[in-house]
Amino acid sequence: MDAIRTEALTKHYRVGFWRPRPYVALDALTIDVRQGEVFGFLGPNGAGKTTTLKLLMQLIYPTSGRAEILGRPVGDVKVRRRIGYLPENPYFYDHLTAEELLAYFASLFGYAGAERRRRVASFLDEVGIGAERRLQLRKFSKGMLQRVGIAQAIVNDPEVLFFDEPMSGLDPLGRREIRQLILRLRDRGCTVFFSSHVLSDAETLCSRVAILAGGRLVASGHLSTLLAFQVQGWELVMTGLMDAALERAKKVGQVVRATPLGPQRYALELPTTVAPDRVLSDLTAAGAQLVSLTPVRETLEDYFVRQVAEAPRDRGLEVSRSHVRR
Amino acid sequence: MSRSALVLILVLSAGVIGLQAVHERRGGPLAAATENFLYVQSPEAMQRLALSYDALLADLYWIRAVQHFGSTRLSQDPNKQYDLLYPLLDLTTSLDPRFRLAYLLGAIFLSEPPPGGPGRADLAIALLEKGRRADPREWQYPLSIGFVHYWWRQDYQEAAAWFLRAADLPKAPEWLRPLAATTLAQGGSRESSRVLWRQILDTAEVNYLRSEAMRRLDQLDAMDQLDALRAAVNAYRDRFGASPDGWEDLRRAGYLRGNPVDPTGTPYRFADGTVSLDATSPLHPLPTEPVRLR
Amino acid sequence: MYAVRHIALNVFKESVRDRVLYSLVAFAALLIGGSFLIGQLTAGSDMKIIKDLGLAAIATFGLLIAVFIGIGLVWKEVERRSIYGLLSKPVRRHEFIVGKYAGLALTLLVNVAMMTAAFYLVLAFMDTQFPENVRAIWPAPAVDPGMLRAIALIVVELLLVTALALFFSTFSSPFLSAGLTVGLWVIGHFNADLRNFEAVVDSRTAASFARALYYVLPNFAAFDIKTQVVHALPVPASYLITTTAYGLVYVALLLTGAVVIFGRRDFK
Repeated sequence: MDAIRTEALTKHYRVGFWRPRPYVALDALTIDVRQGEVFGFLGPNGAGKTTTLKLLMQLIYPTSGRAEILGRPVGDVKVRRRIGYLPENPYFYDHLTAEELLAYFASLFGYAGAERRRRVASFLDEVGIGAERRLQLRKFSKGMLQRVGIAQAIVNDPEVLFFDEPMSGLDPLGRREIRQLILRLRDRGCTVFFSSHVLSDAETLCSRVAILAGGRLVASGHLSTLLAFQVQGWELVMTGLMDAALERAKKVGQVVRATPLGPQRYALELPTTVAPDRVLSDLTAAGAQLVSLTPVRETLEDYFVRQVAEAPRDRGLEVSRSHVRR
Repeated sequence: MSRSALVLILVLSAGVIGLQAVHERRGGPLAAATENFLYVQSPEAMQRLALSYDALLADLYWIRAVQHFGSTRLSQDPNKQYDLLYPLLDLTTSLDPRFRLAYLLGAIFLSEPPPGGPGRADLAIALLEKGRRADPREWQYPLSIGFVHYWWRQDYQEAAAWFLRAADLPKAPEWLRPLAATTLAQGGSRESSRVLWRQILDTAEVNYLRSEAMRRLDQLDAMDQLDALRAAVNAYRDRFGASPDGWEDLRRAGYLRGNPVDPTGTPYRFADGTVSLDATSPLHPLPTEPVRLR
Repeated sequence: MYAVRHIALNVFKESVRDRVLYSLVAFAALLIGGSFLIGQLTAGSDMKIIKDLGLAAIATFGLLIAVFIGIGLVWKEVERRSIYGLLSKPVRRHEFIVGKYAGLALTLLVNVAMMTAAFYLVLAFMDTQFPENVRAIWPAPAVDPGMLRAIALIVVELLLVTALALFFSTFSSPFLSAGLTVGLWVIGHFNADLRNFEAVVDSRTAASFARALYYVLPNFAAFDIKTQVVHALPVPASYLITTTAYGLVYVALLLTGAVVIFGRRDFK
């Protein structure tokens, strides 16, 4: 059973009061998220990521298509016991303290008494909220609110987590803590579905991604397959490299470019056609020492920009007649 | 909307309307039943409280005045109190001094003798005087004051004086001056009464006034008819030396055709040699005969 | 159904921490307490004025609380988006509406109870200020438990106002909700005049329309038995029962409407 599954999930809005025109927020999204994986839902701003998350939480209703969580249709209230949701820029109740908010949400799951207190305390610990937990939420900074948001999403030990921009508002230390938290959750067996426009987070955390642009899915799959594991070359850093050996390597075509890093220390660019171990053994035989050997790949950012640039811009369902006539 | 939600809404709406109907049948809000005092007695205070909603409040008080008059009239209480009528009318006209209908119809309500009304011609005149102060060039007010003197008080001197005052005002109808003269000279007559009630009928703004005027005119017609019937009876008596036994005799003698009925269709009574209006007729009781002065 | 209970308690907690509420309650307490001062001003201090003022204060401040908090009940959550966190929990949308209503109803009950207690305290104090012969001619004793019937109907009236405010709050902004709720409350008090429209209006259609409105619009005038209890006039038990039933059925109707509207909304 998939953790999350959508079939041609579509959402149209009507924009304008006097002559409403349709606006396609999401167009026939079909994805699936396996249990236990960390899935990145990527796309530029306005691509439809938040719309998808809201459809999954049934905060909005789809125009057509279906979605399932843990095998049950999204409206099923029982499933909500097993999931957690962190909305984008979360706002909770100003007048409550962090503890009271967590206790309130915990009570909605049916936790009470000592069990509730234990959960509130331990999850606030886990997200790094200390003594501030007794302060009213109106006094919290954005980063602290984000942590509270994560705490309330995991207070019921969910099997599937939905995070909408979980890193937003956090400083680098905070981002690292949350990254580690997500990995901890994955290790516990949670499925984590998160949307982001920060690609480096996706690269470090996700096994699979989907890329959305203009309301449409433009790519999805394992990170490694998407990037086609296109090794575009190798970078070899060596010391003790004599000029003669370098010149020979260049002439033979083993080295495309050499960047000096220090005395007799070079970063060498190798073409894809050449097996790097051959070049390595040749140069080592000539007396040089290996410092590092790194494959050069297309980054997710390169891939992302390429996919998004090709995505269609037109979000309306039909071009108006007057434009066509002209 | 799901089917069950729709059904629930329909059922609850029916419940709401049904309970409101029950409430209505039991006589409405309890507060209305004991409305025998007004919280704000003073018109001046009310004017201050009303802020900019005077006209609207005047309408509200007018509705209450009419309702008070109507419901007291219809009630089974043997001792009908119209206590709130004048205060309500006073409040109405203080809030909206140009509320002509309130003055005119209010005066008619106030003049009506018991049990159909409080029988307070003095209050009616006071109300109309107030209207006249608010709008001195309106001929209907002095005419109505004259009318009250004429019809309810039989004070024909006063009535004629007021008719004259009305006749002097702009747009007053031409028959006012001759009417004043006739009234002064002869006192009351059915013809003058007809003229006055006809004027009310022609200018009536509401159904109540119209039907009241028609009723009065019918009463005057009935009085004429009774005169004719009595004349027939007397003629019969003169001719045959004895009273007729019933309409049969009069018909056979040729004085009558068919059974005489009043303008509402109720048959006249003939008993013990006298003709009279049937007590069940809507025209009963007939008004007092206008008194001739000479 | 514990979701309803917890949501209700959350509403209650929020109102208790709301400064607007405090000022209203404080003002009401002041007014009730000060009513005996007003009584001193009129020559021959009249117990009737104090009772009238106290009951009116309870009704008016209750109304203000019901409207001020009621109009924001749903709107605030949607506008500030705290509803996202709430609806992702195992809470059905109708439980949200019912819970919010129950919370405000609870708040109102507590507030009315406090104001009633203050009221009776003032009455008890005033009772000691009058000589025996004056007390003997009062239609009802100063500390009259019969007034609780008027307060009970005031509570039902407030529950209906709250339901109205909540209903409007599911789809319109606070200003509009407040205007509509207060407007309907005013019209509902002139309800009897709607019924008597046909006595003064000639047009049949206008009169029928007014009559239809009389049946459909909430009849707030029916809840007003303040005059009766102050003068110790009889109030039939059947009247109390039918009027209370009317209020509760209307509340149920409005809540159902609110649930339907709220249930199909997209929270953008």
